Amino acid sequence: MTVLDLDNFETDFWKDVDKRATWDEIIPGELRDTRPVTLSKEVIARYAKGVGEDNPLYFDEDYAKTTIYGGVIAPPSIHILLMFACTTTEDWMRSPGTINAGQNWSYHVPIRPGDTITMRGTALDRFIRKDRLFAVHENTFTNQFGEVVCTGRGQTIRPA
Amino acid sequence: MTAEEQFNKVDEGEVITGRPFTVTRDTIQAFADASLDYNPLHFDDNYMKNKFGKTSFDGVIMHGMQNFALITRTLTDWLIPRGGFHRRLETRWLKPVQLGHTITPVVTLQSKKKTEKGYWLLFDVEVNNQDGMLVATGNAMAEFIDAIPGMR
Repeated sequence: MTVLDLDNFETDFWKDVDKRATWDEIIPGELRDTRPVTLSKEVIARYAKGVGEDNPLYFDEDYAKTTIYGGVIAPPSIHILLMFACTTTEDWMRSPGTINAGQNWSYHVPIRPGDTITMRGTALDRFIRKDRLFAVHENTFTNQFGEVVCTGRGQTIRPA
Repeated sequence: MTAEEQFNKVDEGEVITGRPFTVTRDTIQAFADASLDYNPLHFDDNYMKNKFGKTSFDGVIMHGMQNFALITRTLTDWLIPRGGFHRRLETRWLKPVQLGHTITPVVTLQSKKKTEKGYWLLFDVEVNNQDGMLVATGNAMAEFIDAIPGMR
């Protein structure tokens, strides 16, 4: 378990580029290498601020306690951060030139400060359409109680 | 209010317009720092002179997931005060969004659906740019529920 430290994240996406699976090497059904991370209230608040989520439900505990949520939760879209936080520098979703074509996400249990989130990530499928190389990925995030917090699928166009 | 009462208070056909969002290098940096997505597509002008398969871009592009986050905010800004729980968002990115572009999500409550155990709202999603061109489409689902899942 690692408490997510945003300030020591490898921001150079060219690092380890040669270790990442290319489209030719992606095996549908294969699991991607992931690690659990623990989200502090500071990380949740910073994510909210960075994406312009200004509802106090995401950072003001006194306010959040008065709502049906009973306390601060993370914005639902925090899986955007989790996909990078839970994978390694060798994950092919970091490959320069990875172009997002679309996503669908389902939400179940809200993430709360102190939660430890585990990602199960697969390459679900790959195909070639209109001369472009596509991969389909599926990510499922669970909390420390084994509950699904959210799950989603996306399509990316892979660098040729 | 019960989930059923909250469900009965919203009307099909309601149009929810999100806050317009203008892309700058600062917004791209802020989104990268929030999401940890530092792909050079969003930063490196020289890299963007390359062709990407059959596609070429006119400079750096906004993160697709920034659009996803803005659509999410449009939905939750409307849902949370009404007691609605965001359940699902599906998106398709149609056009790249570039520096200086202003995009606005528009969400329409397309229909309401009562299931065996749930009170559901089904939304259509469109995101237009400053020229009125559609840059993303999608749909979303929300539910009125009497208790938030996972409460302990």
